[in-house]
Amino acid sequence: MFALCDSISTILTFMCFDVLSLARFPSVRVDMLHLMARVADRQGCDRISRKEMAITKPEAMKSYIWLQTADGSIQQVEEEVAMFCPMICRERVQSGMGSSKNFAISLPERVNPAILSLILDYCRFHQAPGRSNKERKSFDEKFIKTDTKQLCELASAADSLQLRPLVDLTSRALARIIEGRTPEEIREIFHLPDDLTEEEKLEPLRNATNDPRIRLLNRLYAKKRKELKERQRVKDDEAEDQHVDERSVDELLSFINGGDGDSKFIRSAKNKKKNRRRRDLSEEPSTNELSNKQKESTSYSVGFHESGAGISSNSARNSEMHYDSEDVFPGKLEFDDDYVDDELDPAMKEELDREVEDFARRLNSNWLSLSQERRLIPNIMNGNGLIPRCEDTTMLRCCEEILLDQRFAAFATYSFSSVE
Amino acid sequence: MGGGGGWMAAAMFPDEVWEYVFSFVEGDVERNAISLVCRGWHRIERRCRRRIFVGNCYAVSPQTVLRRFPEVRAVTIKGKPHFADFNLVPSDWGGGASVWVEALAEACPQLEELRLKRMVVTDDCLELIGRSFRNFKVLSLTSCEGFSTAGLASVAKNCRNLRELDLQENVIEDNCSNWLSHFPESFTSLISLNIACLDGDVNLFILERLVSRCSNLKTLRLNHSVPLDRLVSILLKAPQLVDLGTGRFSADSRPELLAKLESSFAGCRNLKSLSGFYEAVPAYLPTIFSVCDGLSSLNLSYATIQSAELTKLITRCKNLQRLWVMDLIEDTGLEAVASSCKLLKELRVFPFDPYGAEHVSLTERGLVSVSAGCPMLRSVLYFCQQMTNAALITVAMNSPHLTCFRLCIMEPHTPDYLTRQPLDAGFSAIVESCKELRRLSLSGRLTDRVFKSIGTHADQVKMLSVAFAGDSDAGLHYILSGCKSLKKLEIRDCPFGDKPLLANASKLETMRSLWMSSCSVSLGACRLLAQRMPRLNVEVIDERRGGPLASRPNDCHVEKLYIYRTVAGRRSDMPACVWTL
Repeated sequence: MFALCDSISTILTFMCFDVLSLARFPSVRVDMLHLMARVADRQGCDRISRKEMAITKPEAMKSYIWLQTADGSIQQVEEEVAMFCPMICRERVQSGMGSSKNFAISLPERVNPAILSLILDYCRFHQAPGRSNKERKSFDEKFIKTDTKQLCELASAADSLQLRPLVDLTSRALARIIEGRTPEEIREIFHLPDDLTEEEKLEPLRNATNDPRIRLLNRLYAKKRKELKERQRVKDDEAEDQHVDERSVDELLSFINGGDGDSKFIRSAKNKKKNRRRRDLSEEPSTNELSNKQKESTSYSVGFHESGAGISSNSARNSEMHYDSEDVFPGKLEFDDDYVDDELDPAMKEELDREVEDFARRLNSNWLSLSQERRLIPNIMNGNGLIPRCEDTTMLRCCEEILLDQRFAAFATYSFSSVE
Repeated sequence: MGGGGGWMAAAMFPDEVWEYVFSFVEGDVERNAISLVCRGWHRIERRCRRRIFVGNCYAVSPQTVLRRFPEVRAVTIKGKPHFADFNLVPSDWGGGASVWVEALAEACPQLEELRLKRMVVTDDCLELIGRSFRNFKVLSLTSCEGFSTAGLASVAKNCRNLRELDLQENVIEDNCSNWLSHFPESFTSLISLNIACLDGDVNLFILERLVSRCSNLKTLRLNHSVPLDRLVSILLKAPQLVDLGTGRFSADSRPELLAKLESSFAGCRNLKSLSGFYEAVPAYLPTIFSVCDGLSSLNLSYATIQSAELTKLITRCKNLQRLWVMDLIEDTGLEAVASSCKLLKELRVFPFDPYGAEHVSLTERGLVSVSAGCPMLRSVLYFCQQMTNAALITVAMNSPHLTCFRLCIMEPHTPDYLTRQPLDAGFSAIVESCKELRRLSLSGRLTDRVFKSIGTHADQVKMLSVAFAGDSDAGLHYILSGCKSLKKLEIRDCPFGDKPLLANASKLETMRSLWMSSCSVSLGACRLLAQRMPRLNVEVIDERRGGPLASRPNDCHVEKLYIYRTVAGRRSDMPACVWTL
């Protein structure tokens, strides 16, 4: 292109061609005219200016620039519109590209034809003189009323074209979308991956026990621990010791039952077997893979290994099953949420998990009738006021609620024994 | 990178573009949210964060912060728990700023702003600040201690680009009364100077010279040593002031001084905020009448002036948004405020004689009339002797948009004086009606019932202060198991014990801190809590110094307990009376 340009310029200079006169010949191609004009410019020749070109040449010969997007497609765009983009302007002036289809200016990869079209709309509007500020503002406001994906593409494309005003406009719009939203919402809006680990955050923001099942199991265990502590203080009442070893499951399930000692249930062989297995497993803590969200459970699991063993030995030592409707707190109050964020051996948790699920399933048929009452206890069940995101079935959530509210304990006893 | 696959692939959305988008998002909460979205954003955001707020200086180590945010320009740090203001925290508890200033000096030479609250700041710190940060612009110290005017002198000397020197309620030793003269003659960049808390004399000549050469000065708060006649010349030199704290607002009654003062105030056409008024006398109050119309903030909390005179002044301030006043204003004065100051957003009424037997006519009626007459009311701090449930319920109805409600009935356990009932119903009404409430302080006779309401309804409350309230563990349990947004909880002299703490241990990790003093917590529970929750520091404070903690039994009573979440582990600067379990 440059070579051609140079040789022609030599010829023209030599021949003292008058570009203006050339224009009168319709057979002269538009691109040649452009070329001539540029040559003339370069030679410092001011006999012809762009403006004169515009006046003398016919309408059909309005200036155009050719732009090529990364997908190969080429567009013809009014020059003054395209030149509004600094990147295009620079390409045009410095490298001389864009004057013909074969020498179209290659646009950055981030500009696809659809976005280019929008950007050109923007340029077309704003480059026109005589627009009031109010009009421009109004246009801008309408311009950004589009979906987030398009806003992102516009921001990115405008940035690559160095079109600062549009970058500002779109960036501010994106900032407004981001403001006031939680990380989850932002992730969803922008389709971003959820790939952070706990260590990369400055402060822990999430409650490690967000998983309702973990909380549930914690509560079970916490209840048990509490009882153990209470019992250790009460040295008498040995006579009530009906239940022997294999503490954990029995305790838990009888507490589920309301602790009135549904002994038939407690003595089931199935439970004994499970309990034995659990105690063995507790000696070897395994990696925690309970939570979907790794980041929540990482620090949580640290505690598991330390006290997993401790808990099981406690359960073995325990000598009595005595769950009355004792609240943790003296007055007669309706909440029951005294769980501790306890460390649990993951294997044990899996066991308990399964048992609880089993139990929930059994209850399910009778649970539906309680759906009225369920609505009354949302605050009670959430220890930290966080709504549990129950990724599992509602059965588990029902179960959780049941366990926590003593009103249901009696019902559970009834339903359970009827199934048994 | 911009994200995983799809339309957010890295090549299509380079980091710089996201960075530019983030630059339009300024709030801490929003920035934190951005940094938690994904790895890519976390990386981009940390490199372009300019402002950092550290609510508890022990929650994170300075090295961690600076490693994560290398481009930080403005840092705000808070140290001691709030109850330190009421002398409940031992003076040597901690909150030293040195470790932060040293880390910043090393890693962050581009630092421009440093704001510290309730921290121990030494003169060495101040000197280090002066030497280390070439472009240092803002130094704000609130409720700090440990430094002297010599330290201020080094700041004045070295911080060539200082714009703001803001000293609020600090305890400052005065060993260099000429420290203002250390601002070089060429120094003119000051925009804000607040020396109201200084105890000693200030060289008035130097002060005036400083004021005259800093033509951009917008905020000037003087201390009580500046007499009224010097205020005149200062105002004449700085008529552009927007925020003025007067010095001593009293003098013998001299007509020419009155006239001069009046005209110098009249010359200040941009004045929006007035404070100071130390030892104010009624005779000089009319001198500010000309600026009343433009005032949006008026702090008369040091003005021991009677109701009638106060009322005459305040009712002229039709555009007032913030009013701090002493209870000398009485109910009648507040009624007048309610009918004149329709734009009032914030009201603080301080006790003139908190421990005296003198009966001031400020009752619940004053508060009710302000809530009825001022639809924009958002923030209340009210000291009084008596209250009723009916009044509180009325306030709740009138002002459902309250964001801050702090009621301080002076005598603990005071019930509704008409019905002799606890004030449960009143405060319950407040939390039920004011859905945007962010800060709440309780007082009066209160049972567990009020905590049940608070736990259930106070969804936005971030800071809760409780004293002499509740019947049992249930109260604390209601708070900790509810109050979704709770970040700071401070409790004193309540019958709350181990169980609610242990039962809600994980809640504590979602909060910044918990202070409990004179409650019923045992050492055993603290030990258990500390063991369970590795990311909490459980600090037991015992000033009786009765031997090492390790030897004490589990049922030993804990006098003061401070629990806070941290990623920095146990701190190393504890005094003898503090143990981290």
